[in-house]
Amino acid sequence: MESTLLSLAHGFSVALAPANAWYAFLGCLVGTLVGVLPGIGPLAGISILLPVTFGLNATQAIIMLAGIYYGSQYGGSTTSILMRIPGEASSVMTCIDGYAMSKKGRAGAALCIAAVGSWIGGTFGVLVLTMVAPPLATIAISFGPPEYTALIVLGLIFLAYMSTSSLIRTLLMACLGLLLGMIGIDNMTGHFRYSFDLAELGDGIGIVPVAVGLFGLGEILSTPSAGAVRDIISPRLRELLPTRREWNEAAMPIARGTVLGFIIGIIPGSAHVISSFLSYAIEKRVSKHPEQFGKGAVAGVAGPETANNAASTGAFVPLLALGIPTSPITAVLIGALMIHGVSVGPMLVNEHPDVFWGFVASMYVGNLMLLVLNLPLVSLFVTVLRIPYAYLYPLIIMFCIIGVYAVNNSIVDVWIMLIMGVVGYALRKFDFDPAPLVLGLVIAPILEQSLRQSLIMSNGNYLIFFSRPISLGLMLISIGLLALAAYAFVLHRTDWRTRLAKAEAGEPER
Amino acid sequence: MILRADHIAGAFFVVFGLLVLALSGDLPTGSLSMPGSGFLPKIAAVLTIFFGIVLILRAGESKPFATLSWNDAKHAGMVVGITAAAIVLFERLGFLTTNILLILALLFIIERRRLLPAIAYSVGVVVITYVLFVYILKTPLQAGPLGF
Repeated sequence: MESTLLSLAHGFSVALAPANAWYAFLGCLVGTLVGVLPGIGPLAGISILLPVTFGLNATQAIIMLAGIYYGSQYGGSTTSILMRIPGEASSVMTCIDGYAMSKKGRAGAALCIAAVGSWIGGTFGVLVLTMVAPPLATIAISFGPPEYTALIVLGLIFLAYMSTSSLIRTLLMACLGLLLGMIGIDNMTGHFRYSFDLAELGDGIGIVPVAVGLFGLGEILSTPSAGAVRDIISPRLRELLPTRREWNEAAMPIARGTVLGFIIGIIPGSAHVISSFLSYAIEKRVSKHPEQFGKGAVAGVAGPETANNAASTGAFVPLLALGIPTSPITAVLIGALMIHGVSVGPMLVNEHPDVFWGFVASMYVGNLMLLVLNLPLVSLFVTVLRIPYAYLYPLIIMFCIIGVYAVNNSIVDVWIMLIMGVVGYALRKFDFDPAPLVLGLVIAPILEQSLRQSLIMSNGNYLIFFSRPISLGLMLISIGLLALAAYAFVLHRTDWRTRLAKAEAGEPER
Repeated sequence: MILRADHIAGAFFVVFGLLVLALSGDLPTGSLSMPGSGFLPKIAAVLTIFFGIVLILRAGESKPFATLSWNDAKHAGMVVGITAAAIVLFERLGFLTTNILLILALLFIIERRRLLPAIAYSVGVVVITYVLFVYILKTPLQAGPLGF
């Protein structure tokens, strides 16, 4: 414990060095803007700015890129609450009650609760990361292929169950993502799959062109500039403080969101997205007034916003301790460190203490910076949204092209981005949510490898997933969730997800 | 019978799944104890077909296809066309020229902005971005035949 505190003190000396603090600030600022601007998510933001870090040292690079990551979680809440436009995927749930609070004249309170919740979630995450990363890593190390398979299946089913679109639509998107994720060389046999003799597809389809295409370009294609009239509610500074009642209503959701988000952050997948969905669902379930959800429930803002920030931090645990990326964003961060000659994994803390502890300490500093940035400067960030969309979207397209091209210097990636933009446009037309597609793409290699390894280990016996305690537990939860969803689906019952979707669409409940 | 959005979407996924299965013909499925490279893709393709069929069967819950609004399709098509042209030119003309043309085309052709302000805006933002990346952030961007 003492050595941890000493190391952390050393980390603060690194993080508070003027140059490093500057890059933390820059990362937080850019991250907030990335979160605020619809069409650029954290993944696109980090990808676009990855080449910028080539001239920095490893500590500064990771501090800045991580600042963009968790900064975007803060920024995403602003547009969700004020405009009902999620700046990025994890803010989708905040739209529902955040915007409803704004319509009731409580925009300032919603922003304050979101910012404070985000800060608590983020800071708690860093605190736990500092203290318990090694034991958690030990548990994660004990996971074998069956546990990983069960975990990923659970992640997919969680996503399908929590989705407000139908179970079938979500699973279809996940299947599409899995299929895209299997393009390229099969790691276990060396077979080329669906690469159509294109050498660039040998390594598979990258997450960056798909995510930037679906969420960046796809959003632009679906938003004709003439129709992009924005009704922006701009709160005044004095309206930012929530009432005592609102604080009370936010306290427990923040506490639950903190713990839930951090735990989910460690699990592979789009943790920050899933955590916000899950937190919303839990808050609605435990609430004494579930009917208020969709109409401006404080818990509907506090829980998801806290959870997605805690998850962002939680995702750093396997990244720093094991070198395992749990999301496309952390995969890009690992790539950034490798460019600087730093191997991420269990040896990181000993071989590069400046990087490890400097990075950990910078997250304490960064979260504080974000709290200061996001509350008083909210009007300034909202001003960015007043730029006419006709002038904004050409810029976003330019940055999409730069960001996608710069990762591999591959024009094929840029073409993939364009195709995915068209796919994203079509999916929106037919009411499909593209997020499960991206999740499927990310987890496809891990799922395939762990599933095949499990079957090889068990000589083809599927019961291996039910014969080990951890995987058994995970599979039982999956089956339970599927049964609940199937019950509503088969009997055409209106379950809470349908009601939630209706509330989101503004339809009356029956 | 009214043709609904989910009839079209479901049919697309069924056809897509069948196409994947057809393309997977040369990939070994292997056995349960030694799954091959075609094992999971075929499972995913079959699931895609299955869910596609379910979508068609339950299409009654979706909107009639005729009511889908395609008002934005022209805008989307033009953005895609101009972006595709920019991608074709990107490695030939380099970052600076291509992106000036891209933004100018989007503003002038699609957004019907006046030419001079559109030129000023596109040159301004692209040059600022270029200077920011290349000279301040020391990040190389794709060069064209004239070295920029």
